[in-house]
Amino acid sequence: MSQLLLREELDESQRASVPLKAQKNTLLISHGRPPWYGPDGKCISDAFVIGVGGGSASGKTHVARQIVKALGSIPTVLILSQDSFYKYHSPEEIELAFESKFDFDHPDAIDMPMFASCLADLKACRQTNIPVYSFAEHQRLQETKYAYGATVIIAEGIMALHDPALRSLYDLKVFVQCDSDLMLARRITRDVKERGRSLEGILEQYLRYVKPSYDNFVRPTAAFADIIVPGQNNSVAIELISTHTRRQLQERSNSFRPKMVTSSLHAPSLVNEPLENDPNLMILPSTPQLEGIFTILRSKDTNNQDFIFFTDRLSTLLVEHALQFLPYAPLTVTTPLGVKSHGKKLISKYLCGVSILRSGSALERGFRRVINDVPVGTLLIQSNSMDGEPLLLHLKLPVSVRHRSSAEETWVILLDAQIGTGAAAFMSIRILLEHGVKQDHIIFVTFLVARTGGITTLRRAFPHVRVVCGTVDNEMREGWLEGDRGEGNEDGVGRKIWVMNPGMGQIGDRYYL
Amino acid sequence: MSTNGVPVPPPQPSLLKTTASSNGTVPPSVFTLPQTAQLEALYTIIRDKDTSRGDFLFYSDRIIRLLVEEGLNHLPVVKKTVTTPTGSTYVGVGFEGKICGVSILRAGEAMEAGLREVCRSVRIGKILIQRDEETMQPKLFYSKFPQDIAKRYVLLLDPMLATGGSAIKAVDVLMENGVPEDRIIFINLISSPEGLRTFSEKFPRLKVITGWIDQGLNEKAYIIPGLGDFGERRYCE
Repeated sequence: MSQLLLREELDESQRASVPLKAQKNTLLISHGRPPWYGPDGKCISDAFVIGVGGGSASGKTHVARQIVKALGSIPTVLILSQDSFYKYHSPEEIELAFESKFDFDHPDAIDMPMFASCLADLKACRQTNIPVYSFAEHQRLQETKYAYGATVIIAEGIMALHDPALRSLYDLKVFVQCDSDLMLARRITRDVKERGRSLEGILEQYLRYVKPSYDNFVRPTAAFADIIVPGQNNSVAIELISTHTRRQLQERSNSFRPKMVTSSLHAPSLVNEPLENDPNLMILPSTPQLEGIFTILRSKDTNNQDFIFFTDRLSTLLVEHALQFLPYAPLTVTTPLGVKSHGKKLISKYLCGVSILRSGSALERGFRRVINDVPVGTLLIQSNSMDGEPLLLHLKLPVSVRHRSSAEETWVILLDAQIGTGAAAFMSIRILLEHGVKQDHIIFVTFLVARTGGITTLRRAFPHVRVVCGTVDNEMREGWLEGDRGEGNEDGVGRKIWVMNPGMGQIGDRYYL
Repeated sequence: MSTNGVPVPPPQPSLLKTTASSNGTVPPSVFTLPQTAQLEALYTIIRDKDTSRGDFLFYSDRIIRLLVEEGLNHLPVVKKTVTTPTGSTYVGVGFEGKICGVSILRAGEAMEAGLREVCRSVRIGKILIQRDEETMQPKLFYSKFPQDIAKRYVLLLDPMLATGGSAIKAVDVLMENGVPEDRIIFINLISSPEGLRTFSEKFPRLKVITGWIDQGLNEKAYIIPGLGDFGERRYCE
């Protein structure tokens, strides 16, 4: 009977708030991520890291949520929970855990070095793979959760302020202060409902481990905090924290406004070396057929069917050309006649494609004709209609890139229809480098490059990235793209864009619409 | 790349490194693909007797596509001016002249898919040539061509050029059907130096596009190291 009552109460409280579990390790994205790097290709600043410590059930996650809510328009915020970092347990430890005889509240239960290394990766704008811990099984699972690209990171946990290595990573340290009896009450409701524990077990665990842990390890860390927040009625404190965070972020981005789109276009004098002399910019050797293909693709009178057919032919040739820059090693094989033949073999450990949506996928059919057995990831980058800066809206990268150790041995063929302002190219290369892909393992394959566009800035920032293109267009000028009337754009508002001349028109539109 | 739109001259005979051919010189009418490590890797896969049929198909198709692309570069183009979507004028080139493919059965058929990927809905004639058991000479058993073949450029398809016997016979048949010698382009994956020499001495004005020139022929007139029987591996094994 008492259990039933408890459950009903919990249902009531849950209706009022989002389920607790969904609040941990969540990456919240709004409006896309603007450039976080300068024209030199380097990161402008690290992510802003907030550490939130405090007793168990003191309301740390709630505080973290409230901070996120108050930050509002910040592009990407990640909440990283200490619960993910419980150590991998031996069978004996698991047995103890099921008998509630394992001390989960001791600092030693947490894999602090891993916590710190995940956090350090995220702070430095790198990807990380967060371990997944199951409370039902009392064990760290085989799977991990990939995380990348947060501007603000909130690390929360009872020991969040305990480890000096972790503390050194925080830009702001918060301690959530709450009365012990309130924490116990919250703990009972949560553990019964969400972790399937019995009341007796919870109380025994509380007295045996939680309380001493709080007194010995958690409460003392309040001394390290920059700000102490009450566990309830804390809206003023939240307001202070979010205002401080917003100001910090503002100061960082003001110190170095990325304006690469326009900087290189308005400074043609910077172009002192012809592109043809760049050893890492490969222009497809000109042939009568290639000239003929480009003539068809450039003509405004070419119909859809022809445009698609010749685009596929061109992308096949480009990808074939690009593959000669992969690593090969000698290999001897036996032919069906029993004769030895000395040849070569591709030795790239991992190979994948990444296409920049939408127009990059116009190269995918050609890519698949040449490489049929590798993953192809995607990056959705759109230019902001206000200032032309690129916005990262979505990324789905191949598995070998998601893990740092394999990313370092991965060759990536990046696909996009053209390099005009170079903004999307710049952002996608930056993303791959942050994942650990080596510059000289990236081959950017594209139909057209604008001589006076962003290619100069791109080459200067990433000189070892290879670019394979069909041809170079000499001119780049400001144009106007008519907007489509429809959802979200009732009046068909157009936008200013940079167009290449002679160019191939809007390649994505011509290939897909 | 000629961005100013002036038509580019057709490719020049390849400056082939002589390591691939046993007697050094390559006839001037013979063109090969750029001998890159990547191309070598493709050949290594299709030469390997342990390569699966799926891989054999995929990688031989890749080579065939490159060969057809190279072959098409020997067709004439004319200056052509177009208007781009941005409204400016571009002086490029337009393709000139009708083409058709002719495959020597049965292995030559393997190259048709690659041809059609590059030349959409191109017409393809067929020709069956086998050795006459009495005379031991290649003999025409069957042929079927587009009616207007005499007015077309012909891409002759056969994956292996060993002695050159059947290829020479096929060209004879084409010329009997009114196709001039210099309008035929012979495309193959692997050729023997002996076969190439015999063939291009007989037809010096006929262009040959070959992917790789091997060491030579064995006593059974198979190309060494070669890749075995192309048609057999493609269709039957």
